[in-house]
Formats: sequence, C-alpha cells, structure tokens
Amino acid sequence: MGNRLEGKIAVVTGGGRGIGRGVAKLLAEEGASIVVNDKGTEVDGTGASNIPADAVVDEIKSSGGNAIANYADVSTMEGGEGLIQACVDNYGQIDILVNSAGSLKDRMIYQMTESDFDQVVRNNSKSVFTTTKFAGILFRQQRSGRVVNMVADSGLGDVGRSNYAAATEGIIGLTRTTAKDLGKYGVTANAISAMAETRLFPGAVDQHRIPAISGPSRDERAGIGPSPEIPTWSGGGSPDDAENVAPLAVYLCTEAAPNINGYVLGVRGGSLYVYSNPEIENVVNKWGNFTMEEMDVLFPKMMGYGF
Amino acid sequence: MTKRVEGKVAIVTGAGRGIGREVALWLARDGAKVVVNDLGGSVDGTGDSATPADLVVDEIKAEGGEAVASYDSVADFDSAANIVQTAIDSFGQVDILCHPAGILRDRMIFNMTEEEWDLVLQVHLYGAFNMVRNVVPHMIKNNYGRIVLFSSGSGLGASGQGNYAAAKEGMVGFTRAVSKELEQYNIMVNAVYPGGSTRMTDTVPQSTTELRQQQREAVGLAAANPSQPPPEYRDPANNAPKVVYLCSEAAEGITGQVFGTSGWALSLYSPRHVIKSIHKDGKWTLDELDKLVPLSLGSGLVNPVPVEPPRS
Repeated sequence: MGNRLEGKIAVVTGGGRGIGRGVAKLLAEEGASIVVNDKGTEVDGTGASNIPADAVVDEIKSSGGNAIANYADVSTMEGGEGLIQACVDNYGQIDILVNSAGSLKDRMIYQMTESDFDQVVRNNSKSVFTTTKFAGILFRQQRSGRVVNMVADSGLGDVGRSNYAAATEGIIGLTRTTAKDLGKYGVTANAISAMAETRLFPGAVDQHRIPAISGPSRDERAGIGPSPEIPTWSGGGSPDDAENVAPLAVYLCTEAAPNINGYVLGVRGGSLYVYSNPEIENVVNKWGNFTMEEMDVLFPKMMGYGF
Repeated sequence: MTKRVEGKVAIVTGAGRGIGREVALWLARDGAKVVVNDLGGSVDGTGDSATPADLVVDEIKAEGGEAVASYDSVADFDSAANIVQTAIDSFGQVDILCHPAGILRDRMIFNMTEEEWDLVLQVHLYGAFNMVRNVVPHMIKNNYGRIVLFSSGSGLGASGQGNYAAAKEGMVGFTRAVSKELEQYNIMVNAVYPGGSTRMTDTVPQSTTELRQQQREAVGLAAANPSQPPPEYRDPANNAPKVVYLCSEAAEGITGQVFGTSGWALSLYSPRHVIKSIHKDGKWTLDELDKLVPLSLGSGLVNPVPVEPPRS
C-alpha cells in the first residue's frame, strides 16, 4: 500500500479479469481512482456480462479504494470515447490508460475465416486505438499521461495464432508511434509482453511455449533462453499469477521513469525484461543496385550460410 | 541467363506503380507470369482506374514476358479472392505472392479518425490476410509457395503513423506466425521493410521525414545511408532484386524473417529480443522497482521524444 498515485485517475480496459484486474487493484492500492472497463465477454470476444467489472470494483472498494465499472465495447469508437468520457464525467480527468482488453480465436491460416481475423484484430488492436485516441486528446491538453498496453510474445510467431500475432505486434507498432506522437507533451507509452496464467492463456508460465514446427523456439528467437531456475517462490502466490504483471505496469504509470517511452518490456513470474526493437543483424552494402547474380551469392551469405 | 522464377505464377498487388511495379517487372524478366494487380487508386485510397495495371502489363509484354492485369481491391476478402482467381484462370496456378499495395493516411494519434484507422489497416493488414488466406490453399496443393509481405520501418515508430505502424508491424507478427504454419508445405513467408521514392512516400512533407529521422537516430535506429545519396539511391527498383530472390526456389529455408530492402543495402532484421532482465523469487514490490529499475532495466533507455516546454 502506497501513495504514489494519490489523486490520479486510471482507466483499465479488460480490468475485470486476469492481468487487467491485477493492474487495476495495484493502481488503486497506490491511491488512484479506477474506471474498471470490461465488457465481460468469453475468450473469443462473444457475449457480455457486467459481473467481472463489478466484482473488481467491489474488491477495490472493500479495500478502501475508489472505482467505478464500465462495460463499453472498446473495439468501437463509440465504446472508446464513451469510456474516456465516463472517466472524465465521474472523476474530472484521466491520467493513466492501461489497455489489457483482448480476445483470442486460434485457427490455422488455411482455416481462418475473415471474421476470425477481423474480430481478433478489432478486440486487441483497434481497442487500443479507440481508447488512446480519446485519452490522448486530454493527455496532450494537460501535458501529462501514461499509457501501458498489454501485448504477448505470440507476436514473435505462434502456430495457429496469426490473427493474434498480427494484432499484438500491431499494438507494439501503435505503442511506439503513440510514444512519439505524445512524448513531447510529457506522456509515455509502453507495451508489456506479459506472460501469466490467465483465461486467454491458461497453463503455467513455463508452459507458454508453443513449439514451432521447425526452427528456433519463440523464446530462443526472443532471446529469452531458458528461464533461470528459481528454486523457491517466496512471499505468497505463485510464479503463474496474473498479479505478477502489475508491479511493472504500475511502475510505468508513476512519474518514476520519464525515460522509458516507446519500449516493450516483459514480465514472466518474477522475471522482468526489456526488449530491443527489431535491429539490423546483418547487412551487405553496394554503391548501386544489386544484380540478381549478386543476390544469388550474397543472400545466402548474409543469412549466415557463408560469411 | 538463368531464369530464377521460370514458369512460376506471381501475383503482385499494388503493381501499377512504385515498388510493386518494379517487383512485377523484375519477376517477369526472371521468367514469372505475373498478375499485375492495381486498383489504380489515389494515394489516400480513393478512386480507381484500370490504367496503371494495364501500363505495366504492356511493359512486361513489350519485354517478351507474360502478364495479365487485375483491378480488384485487396482490402475486401471476396475481391482479393478474385485476384487469386485471375491467376488461376489465366495461368492455372499461383506460386508467388507479393503484397506491396498500400496507402497512407498520416495523422497524429489524437487527431486520427476511425476512417483513417480502418482504411489503412484494411489495405495493408487485412489485405495481407485476404491475399494470403486466398492463395494458400493453391500453394498447399502444389506443395510450393513464396510469399513476401511489404511491411515498413515505420512499424518501429514514426510520428503521425499510428495506423500505418499498427498495420505494418502487425504484418510482421502475421508473417512470423504464418511462416511457422506453412513451412511444412514448402511455403516460405517473409516480410520486408522496403524504401524508395514513390508516389506514396513523396506525399510526406520533407520536414516530417527529417523529424522521423531524428527520432530514429535518438534510439539508435538510423539506417546505414550514404551521407549524400544520389537520386538513384531512392529508386524503388532497388527493392526488386532482394524481393525476387525471396520469391525464387533458392530461398527455400528462409522464412519468417524481416529484410530491409531499401536503397543499396540488403539487411536482415532480428525480432525484438530481450536485452536486459532482472529476476526475483517472488512478486516484485514498487519499492523494489523504484530502487532497482533506474539501475537495471531502465538504465540507458532513451525517450525518443522527451518532454518539451509549452510554446509561449
């Protein structure tokens, strides 16, 4: 319990369950008043229920915090605008936006329908645009604000999840841009590649490794390598708890790190990460355009088959 | 001269102009039969005209190649299916898909309209899905395929391009996932960060280009450009040899990657990857993070656009 965010107002989408719920509760513990947004859908984005958002609001209030529920569908412009408007109507301002809402519908590409693709991109990616746009207008005017977007390493390529990979890696592109569009106004925007046991991603953290058909595993490509062996887990809970994501997310919502803007960070249990951007690993140059004959020789070499 | 894509059938979207046109021409010169797809739209995606695709088909034929024009939009699923059907009807199969078709609707995030968001995603990202989803059954049937999706270095963040970055970096995630699903069918799927002076990029004001370059340099993302590049450095044709190689049989085993094809360089990009980490055998507290992050995770991280005082 602290007071780092005393007087601050936060909106958390997908705040009714999993990672969003953990972030909403920790923001409230630090003194922020929270708008807990959750449409209460199933994993695939269908259905609606007030129960998840209401339950988290009750939890926050019973611990002495301030919170209201909001059930808007933030994948629509009306939903995103309505959510930010509800925040301002109730609390007079907005200081923090955490986008954790999302849905999943796994299919191989050759079986995926137009709707499977569209729904997942809307629910995960467009929802970040709708809330960021309307919060961004106010952040710019008040010259302060924090945006934290939840993403996943599925964007590094999981079999059967090309829609979600498109959406989540797209959120990273949007986060980097938001950081640049709003940085000079004192706003930061970052993404957290979160791994925890949630409704969307059931199973222990260490099982979140979907084997590639061939080639290096996602973790190897991500440079994570084997997680260090942690023989004990102290202080209660488990390494798989969704609440483990909250401390880093809330840290980014404080004034502590004005230099962290436009980055992807990661959480897995008690391990916290910073990711690079994609970087040039290997390059060949020429004064002039390449010929195809040069490509025949240089391309395999550049791929590591001969330099 | 060896023909690298002899007898292969290629679909190139947005092939009426710019980078797509060069890719179509180079593929045809190396033996491919090309479906030259171009809606003939304006840079902001409105309007249509058959002319650009027809002109490129004429160019290919004049050089002795085979090509057919297609005017359907990639942005609509059924219309994208028509493009693939054009390849099947004209040439009986499809082996290669290149998707450079694209539009720009630049706007700061706080000013961007829903239409600007939707249109840009529809053409780039949904266009990639629509095309890949429709070609893949044909490629699986033949146990062969080469797909190159045109992403952008703007996915790494460029002011005023939230829609474009979401679409283009989303395309990279899509490429990585699909590549893993399709490698068993000998279908290679890669993305490129292209570049060049095209009708689309020429709409971007010089001051914006300079601002974005400064922001890229602030986080160490400056490309290896010649200091005084001659005009040919920005020729969209510079992308073509790299893309054609990825479309050739020689590219077997190269999949799920991102290549920089701009200018006179060929580069291989890493995925985003972990550069720093801290570990604890329990849940972190904010007190701990306040002390540790500035010394560890946050150390050396640079805000590309630090806060500026308000204009007086």
